[in-house]
Amino acid sequence: MSLHLQRRAFLGQAGLSVGAAALGSRLFAAGGAGEPHLPGKAKRVIFLCMAGGPSHLETFDYKPKLDQLHGKPMPESFTKGQPIAQLQGQTLKVQGHLTKFRQHGRSGQWISDFMPWHHKIADDICILRSMVTEQINHDPAHTFMNTGTAISGRPSMGSWVTYGLGAETEDLPGFVVLTSVGGRNPQPIASRQWSAGFLPSRYQGVEFNSAGDPVHYVSNPAGVTTSGQRAVVDAVAALDQRRLKLTGDPEIHTRLAAYEMAFRMQASVPELMDVSKEPKHILDMYGATPGDGSFASNCLLARRLAERGTRFIHLYHRGWDHHGDLAKYMGVCCGLTDRATWALLTDLKQRGMLDDTLVIWGGEFGRTPMFQGKGGAGRDHHIKGFSMWMAGGGVKGGASLGATDELGYNAVEDVVHVRDLHATMLHLLGLDAERFSVKYQGLDMRLTGVEKARVLREVLV
Amino acid sequence: MRKRFSILAVLVTILISPTWGAAPDFNREVRPILSDKCFFCHGPDAGKRKADLRLDTREGAAEVVRAQKAGVSELVARIVSADAEEKMPPPESHKKLTTQEIGILKDWVAAGAPYAQPWAYVPPVNHPAPKVADSKWGRGWIDAFVLSRLEREKIQPAKDADAVTLARRLSFDLTGLPPTPEAVAAFAKAYAVNADEAVAAFAEERLNAPEFGERMAAYWLDLVRYADTVGYHGDQDHNASPYRDYVINAFNRNLPFDQFTIEQLAGDLLPNPTREQKIATCYNRLLQTSHEGGVQEKEYLAIYFADRVRNLSEVWMGATVGCAQCHDHKYDPYTLRDFYSLGAFFADIDENAHLNPARRKGLNFNTLPSPRPPELLLLGDEDQKEWDRLQKEEAAKPEQAKELAKQLAALETKGRKVMVTEALAEPRPIRVLARGNWMDDSGEIVKPAVPAFLGSVKAEGGRANRLDLARWLTDAKDGVGGLTARVMVNRLWYVFFGTGLSRSLDDFGGQGEPPSHPELLDRLSVDFMENGWRMKHTIRLLVTSRTYRQTSEAAEDLLKRDPDNQLFARQSRFRLPAEMVRDNALAVSGLLVKQVGGASVKPYQPVGYYRHLNFPTRTYQQDNDERQWRRGVYVHWQRQFLHPMLKAFDAPSREECTAKRPRSNTPLAALVLLNDPTFVEAARIFAERIMKEGGVAWEDRIQFAYRQALQREASDEEKEVMRKAYGIGLREAHDQPEERAKLFGVGLTKADEALDPFKLYAWTAVARTLFNLSETMTRN
Repeated sequence: MSLHLQRRAFLGQAGLSVGAAALGSRLFAAGGAGEPHLPGKAKRVIFLCMAGGPSHLETFDYKPKLDQLHGKPMPESFTKGQPIAQLQGQTLKVQGHLTKFRQHGRSGQWISDFMPWHHKIADDICILRSMVTEQINHDPAHTFMNTGTAISGRPSMGSWVTYGLGAETEDLPGFVVLTSVGGRNPQPIASRQWSAGFLPSRYQGVEFNSAGDPVHYVSNPAGVTTSGQRAVVDAVAALDQRRLKLTGDPEIHTRLAAYEMAFRMQASVPELMDVSKEPKHILDMYGATPGDGSFASNCLLARRLAERGTRFIHLYHRGWDHHGDLAKYMGVCCGLTDRATWALLTDLKQRGMLDDTLVIWGGEFGRTPMFQGKGGAGRDHHIKGFSMWMAGGGVKGGASLGATDELGYNAVEDVVHVRDLHATMLHLLGLDAERFSVKYQGLDMRLTGVEKARVLREVLV
Repeated sequence: MRKRFSILAVLVTILISPTWGAAPDFNREVRPILSDKCFFCHGPDAGKRKADLRLDTREGAAEVVRAQKAGVSELVARIVSADAEEKMPPPESHKKLTTQEIGILKDWVAAGAPYAQPWAYVPPVNHPAPKVADSKWGRGWIDAFVLSRLEREKIQPAKDADAVTLARRLSFDLTGLPPTPEAVAAFAKAYAVNADEAVAAFAEERLNAPEFGERMAAYWLDLVRYADTVGYHGDQDHNASPYRDYVINAFNRNLPFDQFTIEQLAGDLLPNPTREQKIATCYNRLLQTSHEGGVQEKEYLAIYFADRVRNLSEVWMGATVGCAQCHDHKYDPYTLRDFYSLGAFFADIDENAHLNPARRKGLNFNTLPSPRPPELLLLGDEDQKEWDRLQKEEAAKPEQAKELAKQLAALETKGRKVMVTEALAEPRPIRVLARGNWMDDSGEIVKPAVPAFLGSVKAEGGRANRLDLARWLTDAKDGVGGLTARVMVNRLWYVFFGTGLSRSLDDFGGQGEPPSHPELLDRLSVDFMENGWRMKHTIRLLVTSRTYRQTSEAAEDLLKRDPDNQLFARQSRFRLPAEMVRDNALAVSGLLVKQVGGASVKPYQPVGYYRHLNFPTRTYQQDNDERQWRRGVYVHWQRQFLHPMLKAFDAPSREECTAKRPRSNTPLAALVLLNDPTFVEAARIFAERIMKEGGVAWEDRIQFAYRQALQREASDEEKEVMRKAYGIGLREAHDQPEERAKLFGVGLTKADEALDPFKLYAWTAVARTLFNLSETMTRN
């Protein structure tokens, strides 16, 4: 079944307002009269956002020179005239690695000792060691990572992808966001990060909550049983059908479908969220306790969502903002995420789903090679070079791309800008970043923006 | 497929190009093509211009539109070329000219490639109303312009809407609330006798109701991105709600739009500004700001700067000057220098309060609300007197300072605060930032100036200031008043007709859409200015026109021919905006608390919704008194986590200017109406009303319910559907007594124990059904 047909089927099911439908058709007209841009290897994306900015120098970027210069002044040649966050106006000195690095897997990838479970997936992941971004504070940096710009009001990548490809489920949203509990004092995260921006609102990410209603208002009101709710929904449908006949208003047609989906979601969402029927060995593998709201539980939910046809699954784990006491908090954050990440990849693999599921791991930026001391040794925000990884969905495992300089400051080899990551992700999904545009305020808006974005062909299978 | 294309092409031609065959109209037909397909490389941006060719000016294009050998110009040769090397636009641009567009460009070149000034920047002219064949239909010049176009297109205007539909339309459009059944009945009677008088009287009553200001403010607040929180990072509260009340009052007292503009941008610079005029300057403080620990001051000054320019130009000029932050505008004649010069008008605003000056001033900005000086303390009359007295005393008796300070502090808690603008004596220097790079200090320092191609601003005191800017914006003779008026009346048209005369409400530039009825837009603009920029005047004209009065129902062929209603041969039909969806349920149930103004309110909200907020962490405290049932316009506007009900119905976060909200129709919205306690409680209270006021017989009660919710009677078929739903409700109420109690426990209100609980349960199901109907949430 071509993407085009799937999408049409999707539009038909859930319906769209006339304006939005026109927007949709315009998109595909631009891409070549309704044909998919390219054959895509990946069918869905699971994005593991390590919010706060994990240190590349304590995860994937080993720099022996950093240890040698530990405690010495940071050479000014690196830092002069560069943007800086909390270290503004302070003396800058080099901070050596706060852990050991070793090579792992057949590929011999360098991974730090903070992440023992990552050692086991060294041959599954492709590490990008030369990431750069443009925003040095959390909120705009997340916005930049998600939308390709720091200006509010643009669609996030999950919305773009769902807009482009639709979803393969009629019972669940196409773009789902899960945030986990645990860790240190977390940076705030705004719902703007999963906004549909100028795209139709139905492409906005739907946040699933681990406490209370899993989706806002997804439970029947207190005192209304499912049969009572059904009766109301049926009455609404019967009366709306009548109104539709009278007026021919296409919005009513859409609303009938929306109410039906809403009613189905009232059952399908709790069913999805209830992981208690997962076999014990699977729960143990992730380290998940049903209903605990942990990153482990969310990884398991991500797999369940992927199985059920959700297109873009965005997990946030906060608490990676380690200005001080970095070693201690790396222990905390890795303790909460490392094993579950391994479990997710392994579980997808054993179900044959890793080949068409693109998994991406990373924060909104990295951290400075320079010391910051709020409490014990820590590091400040850093945007000129950091690490992320991709796995599955048509990406080479056990590979890496790019490098930073000898102190892990500037990305110097095969620099990967955020827009290149976006272009590669879209490419793997069968979308050409350049042609994937929507007219807004007279401009052809793209996830990758106006600058040329590069598909990282070196890392594709 | 080919056949379909040609039919479409003919339709589009009929619709858009009545002068087919003659020289195409440059602004309406040619510029949009050149702008979209050519200007990116051959437009106003000198930095990115290719082959030193610009097609946005007659001079620039002269060379390539001149006939060469064989009578073919270079431009035409290039656009029809089959050679990938020659072809324009080049394949790698992914831009393609359609056959029809090539035809237009050919005709244009053949006619000598005439240029015209961009339509938006030509001052509006008072066009006489055109002659029409049907002299009976129209009620004034608005109708004449619309009808004359329809007659040319050989389309009949739609018939008038029925009285109920029209009363609902007028009521929602003008007050954001449904009409009472009594008002509808009276209107229907009058409408049958003299439709014009009935409409005029019904409209007048609503124009003069306090709810009018609340309704119109909701639209204005989207434009100026009003919110109760700072937006970035910790999204702390800031003090802005008195500004919201100022806007409501401004609409209610019909404050002229030019004055409204001046007060918001520069009220502090007026001689002896009133308290209201000072509050108005909160406009300059509404931008998104950040208190994140590691913000780089210079970077954020640049961010705030750009935010101001974007909003100013979108709100008042219908322009996307924000696009010139890093380079000259790609499509319009705004230069990089214009961007920084325009922003320099705001260089006298102290941005210190918008940064994280905790270090400097010892203030803790991570509190609720975050202190953001300068702020104005607003007290009631009595409290104000007391405040003044205490202050005098404080000055006179320093020995009692401590005690007096305590009293003042106590008094302060009784007031409301609002951020205002106070001009600095020394505005900060503004540099042009090449490529928008805030770290680059090499750019020239610019003085406040308006975009060069639009002339210059009269500055009374040497350096032009915000007041000069505001006057220039509203001065039709020496400024761009005509443009400002056009932008605003086009938005008013949108509010009352569902789509603008120019559909691009926020972009009157080359990439925007020229108006469907340029002469009408002109005339409305001139009339607006001539009538003292009174918004009620223009709104009155709009809603008493015959065009407004049409039914929104349209025959299949008209829908095909004019799917977006650009010809206005019918009214528009759309789902109510978020606030009205809420207000309608509250009004119908009788819960609505009608009080104008005040601090923002907090309705029921899902527990834990603010859990991602920090600095400080947040627990939402819903209001536990009558503030619970106030109108949507007063709901606490948390930019990062807007109330999920408002969000589900497309209310914007107000991070940026929103001139046109999307109108979605999603399962999330359905879940809100079905399950949000606000609507469940309203349904139960409505059910109580049905039982208490709707008579005794089921038949009477269902008719009462329909009249309240939809202002009409239920048909037999509808009654049958409702009877079934009611029956199921009754059965459930009998079978499951514990559920009954739970339902009655939703919300702050107590269920009326005097009423039969089984019936109340069942009527609540009926009421919920009514609240969820398409008809209920649709403005027809």
